[in-house]
Amino acid sequence: MAAVKKESGCKLMKNTVVKITDLVKRYGDLVALDHLDIGISEGEVFGLLGPNGSGKTTTINCLLSLLAFDKGEIEIFGKKMNPTAYDIKKDIGIIMQNVAVFDELTVYENIDYFCGLYITDKVQRKQYVNEAVQFVGLEDFLKFRPKKLSGGLLRRLNIACGIAHKPKLIILDEPTVAVDPQSRNRILEGIEELNRGGTTVIYTSHYMEEVEQICTRIAIMDKGHKIAEGTKDELKRMIRNTETVTIEIIGLTEEVKAKIAGLPHVYQTNFDGTKLTVCCSGGKHNLIRILGVLQENELSFGRVYSELPTLNDVFLEITGKALRDKGE
Amino acid sequence: MQVFNAFMKVMKKKIFIAFIYIFVFVFVAIAMTFTDNNVSQFEQVSLKVCVFDEDDSPESHALCSFIGNDNELVTLENDRDVIMDALYYERADYVLTINNGYAEKLASGDTDGVFVSMKMHDSYSTVYMGQMLNEYVSTVSAFLAGGNDVMDAVSRAEEVLSKEAEVNIASFVSRSDPDVNTNTVFFFRFLPYIILGAVMSTLCPVLLVLGRKDIRYRTNCSGIHQSTYTIQIFAASAVYIIGIWLVFMIVGLIINGGTYSGIAWLAVLNSFVFSLFAAMLTIFVVEFEPPATMVNIITQVVSLGMCFLCGVFVEQPLLGDGVLAVARFLPTYWYIRVNRMIEGSETFDMNTVVLALSIEFGCAAVMALLAALVRKSKYTGKSAVPV
Ligand SMILES: Nc1ncnc2c1ncn2[C@@H]1O[C@H](COP(=O)(O)OP(=O)(O)OP(=O)(O)O)[C@@H](O)[C@H]1O
Ligand SMILES: [Mg+2]
Repeated sequence: MAAVKKESGCKLMKNTVVKITDLVKRYGDLVALDHLDIGISEGEVFGLLGPNGSGKTTTINCLLSLLAFDKGEIEIFGKKMNPTAYDIKKDIGIIMQNVAVFDELTVYENIDYFCGLYITDKVQRKQYVNEAVQFVGLEDFLKFRPKKLSGGLLRRLNIACGIAHKPKLIILDEPTVAVDPQSRNRILEGIEELNRGGTTVIYTSHYMEEVEQICTRIAIMDKGHKIAEGTKDELKRMIRNTETVTIEIIGLTEEVKAKIAGLPHVYQTNFDGTKLTVCCSGGKHNLIRILGVLQENELSFGRVYSELPTLNDVFLEITGKALRDKGE
Repeated sequence: MQVFNAFMKVMKKKIFIAFIYIFVFVFVAIAMTFTDNNVSQFEQVSLKVCVFDEDDSPESHALCSFIGNDNELVTLENDRDVIMDALYYERADYVLTINNGYAEKLASGDTDGVFVSMKMHDSYSTVYMGQMLNEYVSTVSAFLAGGNDVMDAVSRAEEVLSKEAEVNIASFVSRSDPDVNTNTVFFFRFLPYIILGAVMSTLCPVLLVLGRKDIRYRTNCSGIHQSTYTIQIFAASAVYIIGIWLVFMIVGLIINGGTYSGIAWLAVLNSFVFSLFAAMLTIFVVEFEPPATMVNIITQVVSLGMCFLCGVFVEQPLLGDGVLAVARFLPTYWYIRVNRMIEGSETFDMNTVVLALSIEFGCAAVMALLAALVRKSKYTGKSAVPV
């Protein structure tokens, strides 16, 4: 898959691959997409991060012209997208959350069929299919029917069906939902490898860790709005929080808590009876200063940890709610 | 050719089931051909009839001898138990008591309750017998009322009835054309039912797989032109049904004694056009994505419904005008019209044949067009995206 080696990332502004301007999509009274603007450059791994129902899939479906929208414009590869823009479609690969393959065909036949919807030349197709098989590591299962594959292998087949024709743009809509961690890592590595080969990737997920791991640029969505956009560092810089210190402690008095709250850079403290959480904004020695206050007051404490802000903090600070439900 | 090939591959996975279906349908076709054929000859089968003549008049004697013409007269003791036994053990099929006063009632034109009949069960022939007796008395009484004397009225009634019977028989059994034998005629008459069943029940599952929503999503996202896709689906379905049709034509060939000639080719052509219609109808039905479990029910409703309405199971002249008015819009009706001309039940008319074949073909085209339109409408919008 490394035929065209290109520099990854978007340090250099390259050609715009996807341009969504002022996109509005309504389902009856529900505004699923609310004046959405997105621009994606060649070679990026662009993440669409948002909780369930935030409009990620709707964005993808509008992008592919599978859903008519109420307002806005979509350009892909510099051309206006429409349902019969086959010359655009032929350079796009899609991988959906649900595995969409024929149960009646073997692994090889499945990849060959979907590849054949793009590549008509038989010799070339054969080569592409074999490369895709190698890419996802399904060499030993060519004659298997999908029903006989394990969940992880099935996902790989699903991916192979979406990328065999070597698209310039690959769209993945939550490809890792309900996938075990090992397969998940493999999938993420695969996406990075494709990207190193020069492919532009759009990746939707509500797992911030994944998005942080592989995306060069991220748009955070909520209720059909794009609430923030940038690289993960840019996003994190957008918020006050730079460090969250958590300390397990018993018997913290209001007085001591107030002292901590009065420390420089501390903008929020919270104590739930066993755990003290301190949110800091900027500054370098926050943890040492906090522990100093505790020692001065002869309070003993248990586990102590300090976390850098996550995209969840970004989401939390902008929307006032967590990106994911607890326990997910 | 990608879609075409995939169709064939999926078909290959399902061909075993398809073969079973087709085998069953061939079997049913053969069974229908031969049993119904016999039923129509039942009319000529003679019954064992016992007559108790309580009137004992020239008129009642005439009736006895009329019955005796085509049936075997048996004598029984006039005792309920004896009669029941005889009926049960089939020593008699039909017991008729001519009531006292038969002659008078006949003369007065009041034919109600002139006789009483007993039979073990209603069969085609006993019902026919009852009908014929009723017709007989009303005809005789009509002639009597017309001023004929008894013997005259009786003999003229017999004459009329025997003519009617001939007509009746003619409408069921083929003309004496050397090109098609009676069995072939029956085979082709039931073919619409068989073909609709065989095509729908084996083509639907394959098309449903190809049209599955998630797979269609992938297909619609791809670079393949929508029209290319649709054409390949049509082509593959056509190839498949031609295969099925050939199987049935070979069966027909065997039934017809090894050759098709003359007017038999019209039957072949007629069934071909109809098969095309069946395929296009199937494609159309599948566009509505019925659940796989519904396929058999839909097949039955469509094939049985259409065939009953259009005179496959019941002779067209016996259907009500209202029914026929509706049936006229269905290709099965026109298929049967052509078939009736081949049978000789209807006078052969080239214009009607051309019209019928055109209508059948037109219906196939309309189905294809509608299917393509439905498909197109699903290309974008809610139904284009998986839930
Ligand atoms: N066909 C539809 N009819 C009505 N409302 C819909 C339809 N499809 C989606 N919606 C609504 O539009 C909103 C956006 O849905 P969408 O599927 O795009 O979210 P998502 O970000 O992909 O969520 P998830 O993470 O659950 O996949 C949701 O509120 C959803 O209920
Ligand atoms: Mg979604």
